[in-house]
Formats: sequence, structure tokens, C-alpha cells
Amino acid sequence: MDIYLPIAEMSVHWLVVLGLGGAVGFLSGLLGVGGGFLLTPLLIFVGIPAPVAVATTASHLTAAASSGALAQWRNRAVDLKMAAVMTLGGVLGVLMGVWLFAALRRSGQMDFAVSASYVLLLGAIGTLMLRESLRALSLARAGAPERAHPPARHLWIHGLPFKERFPVSGLYISVIPPIVIGFAVGTLSAVLGIGGGFIVVPAMIYLLRMPTNVVMGTSLAQIIVVTALTTVLQAVNNHAVDLVLAFFLVTGGAIGAQLGVHAASRLRGEHLRLLLALAVLAVAGKLLADLVSAPDDLYSVAASGA
Amino acid sequence: MSRLALAAFLLALAPSPAVCSENLVSGLSQDTIQITSSYAGAEIVVFGAIERPQPRRPDIVVVVRGPSADMRVRRKARMAGVWINRNRVVLRGMPTYYFAAANAPLERIAPRTVLEQYGLGLAALMPRSTMGRHDPEPFRKALIRHQRRAGLYLQEDGAVRFLSGTLFRVRVPLPASAPRGRYLVEVYMLREGRVIDARSSWLSIDRTGLERRLYDFAELDPLPYGLCAVLMALALGWLSSLAFRRME
Repeated sequence: MDIYLPIAEMSVHWLVVLGLGGAVGFLSGLLGVGGGFLLTPLLIFVGIPAPVAVATTASHLTAAASSGALAQWRNRAVDLKMAAVMTLGGVLGVLMGVWLFAALRRSGQMDFAVSASYVLLLGAIGTLMLRESLRALSLARAGAPERAHPPARHLWIHGLPFKERFPVSGLYISVIPPIVIGFAVGTLSAVLGIGGGFIVVPAMIYLLRMPTNVVMGTSLAQIIVVTALTTVLQAVNNHAVDLVLAFFLVTGGAIGAQLGVHAASRLRGEHLRLLLALAVLAVAGKLLADLVSAPDDLYSVAASGA
Repeated sequence: MSRLALAAFLLALAPSPAVCSENLVSGLSQDTIQITSSYAGAEIVVFGAIERPQPRRPDIVVVVRGPSADMRVRRKARMAGVWINRNRVVLRGMPTYYFAAANAPLERIAPRTVLEQYGLGLAALMPRSTMGRHDPEPFRKALIRHQRRAGLYLQEDGAVRFLSGTLFRVRVPLPASAPRGRYLVEVYMLREGRVIDARSSWLSIDRTGLERRLYDFAELDPLPYGLCAVLMALALGWLSSLAFRRME
């Protein structure tokens, strides 16, 4: 049965959107990422206008992240203090991103900017993660004991001021790196319609050196706030949040996320990171191919009010 | 419903005293389309009749235009290995939806100048004005191609069917993506390439019920609307995590 989406102004089969929400929610619960980097392009692919896809994905991410974060909370795998510090930067980042979004739209290079940033970001992060998880896997296969922490090298990060204790993560570090990471992710959230988990998770593991078991929950807790703010700002500025679409995405996503969290507890950390790396690289490859290959139609159309 | 309207309409066509010229009457199967939660597009029937027909049947062209808009058409070019938008032309006052049908191929019904004068057919569909430094013609063609792919521009030569010597009708498909607003329905009667009579009427597409209320909410109270979206997301996330905990 088709349902009509009042803001997107189109009709779509309800199973399509429920299934999309569920599949992306599953990844979200499994990998601790929002999955927006998959959902936004998929929604555009089924014909949802890009601004509606970006804005409505944000509210889907809020639900998937809150469902996942609650499950992680019960496993005591959320560092609330770290999440709060990152959210501080995130809020500033979202405000910056909304401004950037409007500027890019005026220049007519929105699509290119979005695709190119996706390719650069996803390509770099995916490659890094793939290399690391393959090394960890081959180490594990060779019989070496798995290390709970990455090697405690002294990074430049540890020389920064404003140090704080984060008991849940067992860290004593400056608040500047988490705030900067939060800011960068907030900006990307507003411009690209993503939660930013695929950046936050590696940043927490490799830059902040947080223990892997609290990374997922903390990342999800931070994503809740950033995406909730993005939803509200998109609703106010662009009138682009479709509640009917959001309802179906969210319902599918919330269920998918729960299944994902359960699946995650049965998989090993290296396998999870390998999966995430492959998902990230696949999206980057597809977007790069679209940028360099000759388009089917050189022309694109956007209507504006009479 | 549409059959009833057609019947009523036919009854109204009582033979009138002979006047020298033939003329046209027309109607729509419905003049408002309501968008509900299961709306997946609609179809209306435009019908009409020729009064005081001459021995030889005239040609009929039916045109439906959606609300007009300024269309920004961008052309990509290859730069440093990637394809990016380079050139832009704005086509002002193009319809968001356009349908043209006739009882025969349009180019056989009337010469080009007449088709262009009345905007009959996609080839004669011109913007009110254009903005941009490039030749607008390829951009206009690209817009028509784009809208045809989306099912929003249609031209169906031969779709106007005569049910008798004087009575005709045509089905007009309106996809779900056809925008809301007022649609102008025009029926032209031509003979030897000249328009001898025309009738026009309005059709409106609008949301109703929940769809209407949601849209008004989003447009008029965007802040509470956004907060509602967040609350719904949080509540559903919480509910699902609760439901799954019970199942364990």
C-alpha cells in the first residue's frame, strides 16, 4: 500500500521506507554509527527530494541512536561526561553547518560539495579503519593476545591544557580534542545529513584512545543531541522534515537498532570494525564513480516558487 | 460519479436553434482532487461536445497546465576529472505539470506558428522569459526531458477519443508528485489549422485531513513541529528498547 508523504509531496510504498529504516537501524545498533551516510543517499535514490532526505534522516538518527544508547546504557557502556563535552562542540558545529548549508545552496554547488566531501571523508576513514582492522585480525589469527587498549603512545594530544578526568573511559585528557571532534561532526551533521558516528567512533578509538566497549554507547549518546538539534533547525529553516516519512523510518530504525545491538554482542571488535570499514569504502567508491563518470543527463532541474 | 456527471452533461445538450457556426462545450469528471494519506495520484476525464456540428469533424486539442514556477536548469561540465554544475539558465513561468492531447498528431492539426501561439504540445511549450548567458534552447529541451521522465509533462497525440460524431473525451493522468494548486484545463477546437473555439476550466489539487494538518503545522509552526519530530523519535527509540528488553 502506498502512503503519501505530505512534506516530500510524493507517495511511496510503506514497506520500502520501513525496510530502509530497519536496515540502516540494524547497522546503527551493530556498529555504533548513525547510518545517515547510507540512509540519505538511499532516500534520494528512491526519489525523496534531497532537502527532505537530509532533514528527515536527522530525526531517524535521533531515534536509532536513542534506542541504541539505551541498550548500551544498561550494559554500562556510556561515558556520559565525555558525551556531554563532545555535545558542547557539536551544538556549535550544527549552527555553523546550517549556515554553510544555506551558503552552498545559494552557490548551486551543493550536490558536488556533498559528494566530494563524502568521498574524501569516507575514503580516508575507511582506508585507515580497514588497514587497522585487518592488522588486528591477522594478529588475532596468529594467536597473539588481544589488547584491550591500543598501544599507549604519547600523542601531541596529551600535551594540551584543560585536562579532565573521565572515569568511565579511564582517561585523563584535555577537553579540547573532544570539543573539536564534536564541532567537526556537528557541522557535517547539518550539511550532509549524517550523525557522524563513522567519524566519532574512529576518532574516539584512535585519537582519544577510549576503550572500545564504551565507544559505541558514548558515540550514540552524543549523536542523539546533535541530530535532535539538526532536526529542529532543519524544520525551522527549511520546512523539510517529513513527519510521516520520519515515523516509518524511525519505527523500522528503532527495531533494526535493537537487533543490531544484540548481533553486536555476538561479534568481535575487529570483525565489527572490518564491517564498518567495508561499508564506508563501498559508499565512497560509489560516490567517486558517480563524480568521475559521465552523467546520464548533463542537465539537472530545480523548481522554485512561481 | 464521473459517469453520472457525463450523463447530466449530455442531458444539458439539448439541441438549440441552428446558428451558422459550430461551438464547443466541455467539462471535467471532477474539479477538486483531495490528497489523503493513501493518495497515489489521480486521473480525471475531460469531456466535451461539439454543438451544431458541420459535416466534417473538427480537431480537438486538450491542454492541462499545473501552477507555474521558475525552473533552474543546470548543465554539468567536466573539470579536473569530475563532473560539476557549470552553466545555469532560469526558465521563468514554466508549468510544473503539463498535459497535451489531441485526436491526431499535433503537427497535422495546425502549423507551428499556431501551436506556438496557444502553447499546444511540448515542442511549443515556451518559458515566459529566461535568465542566463547561454542559449536557452538546450536547457528548455533538458527540462522537458526531465519532466517527462518524472511523468509530469505528457503529450499524447491521438488520446482524445470521439465517442460519437460530436462527443469526445480524454483521460488525464495526474501522478502523486504533481504539485498542489490550481490547474488550468483548456479545450481547443480547430478547423483547417485555425482555432475556432476554446473553453477553459479550473481543477484544484489540495491536501485534506491529516495530510493538510501536518503540512500546515510544518509551515506555520516550524519550531513546535521540529520539537514534535524529536519527541516522536525519542519516544519510539525508548519504546523499542523497552520492548526488546521485555523479550529477553
